[in-house]
Amino acid sequence: MRAEGAYAVRGETVPWMRLAAIVALAGFAFGAVMGSSTLRPMQSVYSGLKVPLLLAGSTAVCIANFYAVNSALGLRDDFAAACRGVLAAQATVAVSLASLAPLTVLVYVSSDNYRLAVVSNGVLFAIATGAGQVTLRRHYRPLIVADPRHRLAMLAWVTLYVFVAIQAAWVLRPFIGAPGLPPRFLREDLWSNAYVVVARTVWELLTRR
Amino acid sequence: MRKLLKNIDGLLRGSFTQPADLASGRIAVPVATLLIAAVLLGAGYGVFMGLYAVLRPENASWLQLLATTAKVPLLFLLTLAVTFPSLYVFSALANSRLHAAETLQLLLVAVTVNLAILASFGPVTGFFMLSTESYPFIKLLNVAFFAIAGFCGIAFLRRTLNGVFAIDADAADDKAARRAQRRPRNVLRVWTLIYAAVGAQMGWILRPFIGSPDRAFELFRERESNVFVAILVSFVGLFR
Repeated sequence: MRAEGAYAVRGETVPWMRLAAIVALAGFAFGAVMGSSTLRPMQSVYSGLKVPLLLAGSTAVCIANFYAVNSALGLRDDFAAACRGVLAAQATVAVSLASLAPLTVLVYVSSDNYRLAVVSNGVLFAIATGAGQVTLRRHYRPLIVADPRHRLAMLAWVTLYVFVAIQAAWVLRPFIGAPGLPPRFLREDLWSNAYVVVARTVWELLTRR
Repeated sequence: MRKLLKNIDGLLRGSFTQPADLASGRIAVPVATLLIAAVLLGAGYGVFMGLYAVLRPENASWLQLLATTAKVPLLFLLTLAVTFPSLYVFSALANSRLHAAETLQLLLVAVTVNLAILASFGPVTGFFMLSTESYPFIKLLNVAFFAIAGFCGIAFLRRTLNGVFAIDADAADDKAARRAQRRPRNVLRVWTLIYAAVGAQMGWILRPFIGSPDRAFELFRERESNVFVAILVSFVGLFR
């Protein structure tokens, strides 16, 4: 969180394994709590597995483009440092989520309203994503000072990552588990698209008479 | 293969288009290497793009995947073949240091960079192909990725063109010097306009790339409408 020691901004190596372990453990911790709204152990296990899968899967899908964009912008020599920033940001998101898990417990204890559970976890994900941005910017600051084109590479990464992660979260749902439905790893209507659903909902709202 | 990947990495880094080389009218990468790289990168993206036809519940088609794999590199190379004569004439008129062969090499480098960026979107496209049924969304997603990759290709060209055009050291006055400095930008504008317009229409001629879910496989569609109307219709289709 402080970008010190092995995780320092100007570190010599990228601590891949440690960062992956942090994402796996902290992500699982938050996911397990998120899936515990109806006290069904299987849903907790499923959600615990899916949070790290969401973070790692979205990164894996976007990393080839990140490499190409950095190379095309002439930033290939700094790719290891940029990767360190990206991975450290993922670890920060996971750790932040884990640190917010008690709030999820508090919400679940306070109310059995499913919509409140969905909205509160959405807010916590947004906060954790913001924390990830702090780490990403911290790692990118010296890079941008050295070469302003890094700002474009960072923006490209964040845009593509958010675009993919939203769809990945949609595909991997349910994370909480609706009270009336049995625990499942994935929903039956797996093959749908978050953006299409949102576009149709907005269209229906606008055209409703 | 490793050498080819190394060459693609070098292309993206701009190792073959250093200002000193361009100033002497030299691009140190063979045309054959560029062609092979362009075909492989385009085909790589084509595989991901063609997945939609294989995965859709109705009219699933492996033939569409094969066709798309071939059509993506073909789209870029045919567009270059059609536009190269005019692009060369305009650059020669603007006092380019590159002769026809080197101009072709430079444009092939830009096309390969464009295709490398497009290919890097492959996993993202593949992910959305696996998780999306909406045909209009898939069409718009691909239009967006082709456009982004195209802009990256243009940005690459912009970076290299400054070294290509000779600026007269003995320009008569400031106005003439400024005019000379504007040359690369003007040439890039003309190139982009011609290449984008021809590319968009070439894509329309070579369609289908994805394959409409309510139609059986067909290698080429009938001649109808144009690409810009089709994009607008897809956008409207998102809401229905």
